[in-house]
Amino acid sequence: MDHIDMHRLKQGEVNLGTSIMAVQFDGGVVIGADSRTTTGSYIANRVTDKLTFLHDRIYCCRSGSAADTQAIADFGHYYLQMQAQTLGSAPAVLTAAAIMEKMCYQNKDQLSAGIIVAGWDKKTGPSVYNIPLGGGLFRQPWAIGGSGSTYVYGYCDATYQEGWGKDETVNFVKNTLTLAMSRDGSSGGCIRMCVITEDGVERKFIPGNELPKFWEGKEVLGEATQKALAAISAVSDVAPMAVEV
Amino acid sequence: MDPSLRIVPTSLPKSASIAQTSNSLGLHDTLRYGPRTIATEVKTEGDLKDRLQNWEETQDNLKLTIMRNTYGLHAPMRLLMERRIVSANPHMPVLPQSNLQLDILMGRDESIEAADVFAGPLNGPPLDIRQDMEKKYRI
Repeated sequence: MDHIDMHRLKQGEVNLGTSIMAVQFDGGVVIGADSRTTTGSYIANRVTDKLTFLHDRIYCCRSGSAADTQAIADFGHYYLQMQAQTLGSAPAVLTAAAIMEKMCYQNKDQLSAGIIVAGWDKKTGPSVYNIPLGGGLFRQPWAIGGSGSTYVYGYCDATYQEGWGKDETVNFVKNTLTLAMSRDGSSGGCIRMCVITEDGVERKFIPGNELPKFWEGKEVLGEATQKALAAISAVSDVAPMAVEV
Repeated sequence: MDPSLRIVPTSLPKSASIAQTSNSLGLHDTLRYGPRTIATEVKTEGDLKDRLQNWEETQDNLKLTIMRNTYGLHAPMRLLMERRIVSANPHMPVLPQSNLQLDILMGRDESIEAADVFAGPLNGPPLDIRQDMEKKYRI
């Protein structure tokens, strides 16, 4: 092949293999993401900020190809700025989500980008919009995305309750992302969260060593062989050939 | 202007196909359409050349589409009208040209590119302007 195949460039591209999520609660939304960006198996950035500013009370979480999502977020921000300027007031979250969705859909053959747009606006209050790979737009009370999300659908379905306040929602996001990060190879690092309400945006950062601890495994095999070894040496007085410590 | 939010140029496949030129037996109809060449049906070049050539145009088109969606059809129409007015150059096309007004409108007035450094005719000043004009307008 003499010429460059553009589609090959997609493989091994800098990838936001990710866990992202956004949850709506009574007065606002909580959005969160892990902080790992990989190129193949190398972690290109272990403290990435995947929560991107679109407007004062509207943020988006990016997953998929880092370059694709940055390009869409840049154009989305530019487009939304022009709209908001013409409108004269803060734009609706639906407006921002629709803009991102149009870009994702019309470029769908070239992009691999999964985006969650969430925020607060005066008319509807808090809202979360999920824009998965093909470029559809879905409003949901909570949305998860990225490669790590597949591991936590069950946990989210079992745990989510309507009518939570801010602290319970933050806890929900923290636990979900921790579980996703511990099972997914392309997610990890620390958790970055934003709590968006009418009054402002509060950024939260949870470093990797302060994440909640869940089941961390137990060396079951070692215990059984230890017991067997003890039994043998007690009975036959013969030192075993190899001892596994 | 194409009202599309494409960020990067599309790579179009070749448009000729056996489906359009086949006769009732399913073969290429040489009597009607001439001899068949595979070069017209199969894409032999990579996407890179088209992508680079159409890059600036696609980005510009995206911005014009955003303007259309935000302000109305008149906004890109006026910009394109201004560009067209400014491109109407009364000078002879074969002589070297530089259009400062167009550069300003396109936002290129404060940048220097390779094309600006290596500009100029390959063979020196034109010897016979009328012949060059005839060639250019294919008279």
